[in-house]
Amino acid sequence: MLKYIARRLVIAIPELIVISFLVFMIMEAAPGDFLDQYKLDPSMSKETLEAMKKELGLDQHPLVRYFKWLSGAIRGNFGYSFYYRRPVSKLIWERVAATLSLSLTSLAGSWILGIALGTFSALKKYSLVDKLLTVFAFSFIAVPSFFLGLLLLYLAARTGWFPIGGMISIDHNTMTAWQKFKDLLWHMTLPATALTLGSMASLMRYMRGSLLDVLNEDYVTFARAKGMPERIVIFKHAMRNAINPMITFLGFSISGILGGSLFIENIFAWPGMGRLIYQALIQKDLYLVITSGLISAVLLVIGNLVADILLALVDPRVRLT
Amino acid sequence: MKRFLFIAVLLSAVVLFAAEKYVWFDENTPYLGSDATGKYGGGIVVATLSGPRTMNYIVAKETSSTDVIALFMGYGGTLVELDNYARLHPCIAKRCEVELTDEGKMIVTFWLREGIRWSDGHPFTADDFVFTVNDVYCNPDIPSSTQDVIKDSQGRLPRAEKIDDYTVRVIYEEPFRLAVRYIGGLYIWPKHIAEQWVKDGTFREKWTVEAINNKELVGLGPFIPVEYVPDQYIRAVRNPYYWKKDAKGNQLPYLDEFVFKILPDLNAIKLAFENGEIDIYGVTAQFYPEIKAKAKEKNWVVGTGGPTYGTTFITFNWNHNDPVKRSWFRNEYFRKAVAYAMDKEAMIDTLLAGLGVAQWGPVSVLSPFYNEDALRKYPYDLDYARMMLQLGGFSWDKDGNLIDAQGNKVEFILSTNAGNIVREGMCNIIRDELAKLGIKVTFVPLDFNLLVNKMLNTTDWEAIVIGLTGSDEPQGGRNVWAQKGTLHFWNFHPDAAPGKQIKPEIYEAPDWELEIDRIFAENVKILDQKKVYELFSRFQELVSEHLPLIYTVQQLYLYAHKADLNIIEPTAFGGMLWTLPWIYWKK
Repeated sequence: MLKYIARRLVIAIPELIVISFLVFMIMEAAPGDFLDQYKLDPSMSKETLEAMKKELGLDQHPLVRYFKWLSGAIRGNFGYSFYYRRPVSKLIWERVAATLSLSLTSLAGSWILGIALGTFSALKKYSLVDKLLTVFAFSFIAVPSFFLGLLLLYLAARTGWFPIGGMISIDHNTMTAWQKFKDLLWHMTLPATALTLGSMASLMRYMRGSLLDVLNEDYVTFARAKGMPERIVIFKHAMRNAINPMITFLGFSISGILGGSLFIENIFAWPGMGRLIYQALIQKDLYLVITSGLISAVLLVIGNLVADILLALVDPRVRLT
Repeated sequence: MKRFLFIAVLLSAVVLFAAEKYVWFDENTPYLGSDATGKYGGGIVVATLSGPRTMNYIVAKETSSTDVIALFMGYGGTLVELDNYARLHPCIAKRCEVELTDEGKMIVTFWLREGIRWSDGHPFTADDFVFTVNDVYCNPDIPSSTQDVIKDSQGRLPRAEKIDDYTVRVIYEEPFRLAVRYIGGLYIWPKHIAEQWVKDGTFREKWTVEAINNKELVGLGPFIPVEYVPDQYIRAVRNPYYWKKDAKGNQLPYLDEFVFKILPDLNAIKLAFENGEIDIYGVTAQFYPEIKAKAKEKNWVVGTGGPTYGTTFITFNWNHNDPVKRSWFRNEYFRKAVAYAMDKEAMIDTLLAGLGVAQWGPVSVLSPFYNEDALRKYPYDLDYARMMLQLGGFSWDKDGNLIDAQGNKVEFILSTNAGNIVREGMCNIIRDELAKLGIKVTFVPLDFNLLVNKMLNTTDWEAIVIGLTGSDEPQGGRNVWAQKGTLHFWNFHPDAAPGKQIKPEIYEAPDWELEIDRIFAENVKILDQKKVYELFSRFQELVSEHLPLIYTVQQLYLYAHKADLNIIEPTAFGGMLWTLPWIYWKK
C-alpha cells in the first residue's frame, strides 16, 4: 500500500509541472498583461510603465519567467504577486483558513445531508416524500449557486438577520472567545447555506440512483429471500456497494476545497482563496494564478489518491498494487 | 460665486507675478478646518471595493491603496491643500512666496508651522520636507509617477533647500506654473524613519500592508491605520499628535476611528448601506432613484454634487491598415456627422437615469480653465449629420447605404470594454443612430485587456467608446494630447506608438494637432494665469472643432450618507470626505 502511494506521488510530480506550464502558457496566450489596467491612465508616463515592466520582470521572455518561477517553486518560493507586491505563498496562506472553514463546513453539511436524504429518498421510492425531495433537488441543481447567493444576500438585506458579507464584524478583536465563535457562525450561515444546498442536491440524486441500482441486484434479492433483516440488507450490504461511486466523487470534491467557492466568496465578501484567485485572474496577476492552479492540481491528485485508498478499504475487489 | 472668487485670486496672482515676487498666501490666510466646531467621539465606516495593496505611496497606483494612505499622509499632512473645488489653501506651510530670479529660475519659499509632531511624537521640521523632495520624489533610484508630474517643461526635477528649521525653498530651473500645487501637495515622509531605507536601497519594499498590523506607519495625517484583516477591513485610529485645531482650539480630528470595510461588489455596498453597516455611500446612477426615494424614511441625506471629472468618448483609428477606412476616419466631416448623430439626451435618460450632463470638450466643467464659449457644440440633428456627410464627399446608394466618393459602403466595427453597462448602452445608441444615416456599425464588446491592447499596440481597431480619468488641471492630460503622447491613440506618432506599429509613410498630423502639442508644452512655463486660460480656451476650441475625440455624456457626482453625520458640501473633486478631520456625529 505504502509503495503504491509513493509511486502515485512520484508520478504526480511531472504531472504537476506540466499542469503549471499549461496554466502559464494559457495566461501568456490571453491578450494583455497586468500593466494593461494602467495604460489608459493619462497620469502614467511611458517611463513609469517601462520601469514597472522591468520591475515585474514582464520584459523577459515568457519561458525565462516560467523557469525562474519553477526553480523558485521547487525551493518553496512561489514568486511575488504583482497586485499585492507580497509573496504569493504568504497571500495564499492568509486565506487558507477562511476558505477551509467555509468549504469544510459546507462539504460536511452537503455530504451528510446528501447521503442521508438520498438514501431516504431511494428507500421511499415514488412516495410523496421522494417526489418532494426530487423537486427540491432539481430546483437547487437548476439554480446556479451564485444566484442562490444573491437571493440569500437579498434576504439578509431585507430582514437584517444576517450581515451583508464578510467573515467577522469590525469589532471582532474586542470580543470574548465565545462571542468570536458566534460572530463567525453568524457570518458563515448564508455563504455556507448557499454552498451546501447546491452540492447537497446533486449528491442526493447520485446517492438515490446508486442505491436504487444496488437494491435491484440479485444478491440483495437473495439476501432478502433468505430472510435477512431489511436493516442489515440495506445498511450492511447495499449501502456499502452504493457508496463506491460516491467515493470517486469525493475525490473530486477535495480538489475543489480551496477554489471551488469562487463565486460565493465573491458575493459574500468572504476573504478566502476563491476571491483571491478571481481577482488574480481578472488582474492577470500571473504567479498568483499559476500557484493557485498548482494547488488545485495538487489537491486533485491527493483527492484521487484518497478516493482510491478509501475505495480499496470499502471494496474488497479493489487491490492497490 | 466660488468660481468667481477663485478666478479673482488667479487674476490677482497675475498682477503680482509682474512684480516678480508673489505672496501666494500668508499667516493671515486660515487653514481648512480652523473654523470648525464639532463633538468628539465615534467612528465611521466606509466601503471600499478592494483592500489596499501597499501603504507605500511611492509604489501605490490605485485608489484602494491611496485612499488608505491619505488617512495618515493626507488630509492636512501636506504643505498646501485643496478644498472641494480644488482651490489652494495653506496647510503645514503658513506662508508661501514665489520669486522669479534674473537668471530665469523660479524659487518657491515655504514657511512651516512650528511645533508640529509626527504621529510617533518625533518633531517635524524642514529636514523632513527637504529629505522628501530631494531624496524621495526626485531620487532617480526611486522611480515614481510623481516625478512625471513635478518635472518642468524640459523634464528637469526641482531641488529643495533648507533655510532654517522652519523655512524651505524649492528651486526650479525655469518658471513652472504647477510648482506650488504639486510640490506643496507632496505627501511628506518622516526622515527619522525613511532615511535609512534610502541609504540601503530598500525604500520601495517598505511599508507594505504588513506595516499596518506591525504598527509601523507614521504620518502627519489625522488617522493612523493600525489593523488590517485581509479582504475584511482596515481600521485607523486618531493620530494623537495631529496638528490641526478647530475654532475653539480643540485638537482635531473629532472622530476616534475610521474603518474601511472591504466589500467587493457594488450591489453588496448598496445593501450594506441600506442595512446601516456603512455610513456613507457613493451612489451609482442605477440605484439613485431608489436610494433617494427611501431617504426620508431611513434618515439619509441624498444629493448630487455636480458633474464628475471622467470623460467618455468615441474615437476612430486614423491609422487603420485599410486606406479606405483611414480616409473616412480622417475626414473631419465624417466625425462631425457622428457628433451630430449622437443622441446625448437618450444616453442621459436611459443610461444615467437622468443624472448626467452632455459633454462637449476635453476640459472638465469643474476646472477653472473650462470655457463654455470656446466650445463648438453639436446638438442632436440627423439632417445636419447628413449635410456634413455630403460636405465630406459621401452619398447614398439606392438602398440607402452610405457610400464614399469611390462607391465603398461605409461600415465599421465599434468596440468597448465588455461589462461596462453604460458604455455598452452608448455603443448601442450610437449604432442605432448611425444606422439611420445608412452606416452599418457592428458592435463588438471586448474584454478590457484585449481592448487596451488593440487600441495601444495594434492598428487593428476601427472605433472605440472608452473613457479617461479627468482632473481640474488640463495639463494632467498631457499624455493624451501631446503629439508624441503615449495615449494619443487615435493618431499615434510613429516614434511614440507603444507597439511601433504606425508606418511613417501613412502618418499625418494636421496643423491643429501641432498647435495643441505646443499649448501643452508651453503653458506650464507661463505663470500668468490669464494667458494660460486663453491657451486652454484655444485648446478646447480646437478639440471641439476638429473632434479627434467625440465626447458623450458625464454622470453627476451622486452621494448618500446618514443624516446625523456632519458631511459638508460633497463634490466630485473632494468627495464626501474632504473635511475628514472635522467630520463628527451630530448626536
